[in-house]
Amino acid sequence: MTQPLLQIEDLHVAINGTEILHGINLTVNAGEVHAIMGTNGSGKSTLTKVIAGHPDYMVTQGDIKLRGVSILEREPEERAREGVFLAFQYPVEVPGVSNMYFLRTALNAHRKHRGQPELSGAEFLAVVKEKAKLVDIDAGLLNRSINEGFSGGEKKRNEILQLCVLEPAMAILDETDSGLDIDALKTVATGVNALRGPDRAFLLVTHYQRLLNYVQPDHVHVLLEGRIAKSGDAKLALELEEKGYAWLEAAV
Amino acid sequence: MASTTTQHPFAALTPIPPALPTIRDEDWRFTPLKAVTAQPWSVPSTAPVKHDTPDLGGARVVFVNGRADEAQSRLSGLPAGVTISRELAPLQQASPERPFVALNAACARAGAVIRVARNVKIEHPVLVVYSSSDGAAFTRLRLELEQGAELSVAEHFCGTGRHFLGSITEAVIGANASLKIARVVADSAQAVHVGEFNARLGRDARLVLDSIALEAEFARTELRVELDGEGSHCDLRGLALARGTALFDHQIHVDHAKPHATSRQLFRNVLDDRSRGVFSGRVIVRPGALGTDAQQQNNNLLLSDDARVDTKPMLEIYADDVKCSHGATSGQLDANAVFFLRSRGLDEATARHLLTFAFANEIIEHIAVPGVQQWLSAQMGERFHGLGGTARSNEQ
Repeated sequence: MTQPLLQIEDLHVAINGTEILHGINLTVNAGEVHAIMGTNGSGKSTLTKVIAGHPDYMVTQGDIKLRGVSILEREPEERAREGVFLAFQYPVEVPGVSNMYFLRTALNAHRKHRGQPELSGAEFLAVVKEKAKLVDIDAGLLNRSINEGFSGGEKKRNEILQLCVLEPAMAILDETDSGLDIDALKTVATGVNALRGPDRAFLLVTHYQRLLNYVQPDHVHVLLEGRIAKSGDAKLALELEEKGYAWLEAAV
Repeated sequence: MASTTTQHPFAALTPIPPALPTIRDEDWRFTPLKAVTAQPWSVPSTAPVKHDTPDLGGARVVFVNGRADEAQSRLSGLPAGVTISRELAPLQQASPERPFVALNAACARAGAVIRVARNVKIEHPVLVVYSSSDGAAFTRLRLELEQGAELSVAEHFCGTGRHFLGSITEAVIGANASLKIARVVADSAQAVHVGEFNARLGRDARLVLDSIALEAEFARTELRVELDGEGSHCDLRGLALARGTALFDHQIHVDHAKPHATSRQLFRNVLDDRSRGVFSGRVIVRPGALGTDAQQQNNNLLLSDDARVDTKPMLEIYADDVKCSHGATSGQLDANAVFFLRSRGLDEATARHLLTFAFANEIIEHIAVPGVQQWLSAQMGERFHGLGGTARSNEQ
């Protein structure tokens, strides 16, 4: 029996002494796409950040395992090299650091971890050009500082470009679809669908059902007030779109 | 104040040295002179001192321990209309009331004057090297640009061991003339500098100045710019990368004396260990200087809890219809940016180096004097563990 890729067990998380997640259980197998839906403040973003290892969040109980091994004590960069990737809801601007230099440094850190030789500038350029086409990102943005002066859509495309270059096993997208026009949304979906495969899993955090029209999830979970209130298949997303969250809130 | 029982630190150089300022003087409030006054300074030795300044392809004026070094200089081969002479020109713009100006007036032994005739343009920057090894030295440089002339200059302050250098550079920039100058303090970790650059700009004249402090124990740089011509413009930028117990101080005075002049100031400090940074930016808009446009920005990055910065913007506006702004920020690296880079697989040290480098490099990459950016990128690379200029390169 193969290990689940990601296991979250009875996870309690606090920030500044306030508990936000009250016992999350979630199992994600390689090859699966899970969607996490929920209202604002339900703890969706907290869940993604705690998996990626954000230092502000404290796990007070429970565990997060990657391929059966706890990652709670791992640094964010170690989790990244082991295959965890978080596409941020609000991508940060990093003035003075070029996208290309950053991406190459990141990819080479991953390759080194896997025992592969580092890519030269020319080799990297070939990789990134191909991926840039996939996410329809303007080549001019690649030589600019990370996200500096990018539009909202360009920032999100840039997150997906990083995803495509780093090819993580466990990709987590935190509301990547919010604020996107339909073309940008389709591009994000194209990137995700291109990467879908038997060795990779996705956790899509979203507010809306819209993205799920383009990326068909295997499982849908509803997060309410720090707990998973309901899990189901793709049909649950449609039901939420129709009925809202109120009927579930009553059940919490 | 030097008392009669304690020897004045510059007593060996001049019989009646002026009293040195203390932190009770407003202009020195954040700049204790410990590094200057700790031990008396001797007359420097005459031993030759090598320098490692890269060739910028043009003329070279070298001072060693405050004396002209003709063997290392290259003053010939200048285009017609350009002269470099080894004169100790009298100070014309620096105020003799300031103690270090008075010391320079009394103690300077060597100087140089660069003159560029009307509408003449020099292709390669003139490199001026101040290399020192011991004692206290004072130098003067004078730059005279006639109408429409163009000149670029790189000043490099360097050397070995503990020494003091009091330098004054004066520039007269004629109507429609343009001066680009880069001042680089990349000296020994015990070096002590008090430097002044002053400039008077004529109508539509332009000044672009970069003041970069990378290594010294103490470096105080006063930049005094008089926008004395209508439509004149100055762009002043500075970067101080301090570590250990270093103190780097930039004192800026921009005087808008005539209408429609513009000034830009951008100064950054990166302070590690127990180092200190000082920024004082004063902008004066004289009565009648209509249409003045003055902007000032000071950003400070504190890498250690023991580092300290003092920043003091001052706007004195005596005219109507002017546009003046200033802003100052001080803080640590953006925690969200550090987490973002780590979440992509960069280890924490690399993420921090990269962000620090990026902050500093925004000044370096805009240095206007040809060749200086490449030279300092290499120095930055050593400082930031091999990042060098590549963090910005296009990877092509």
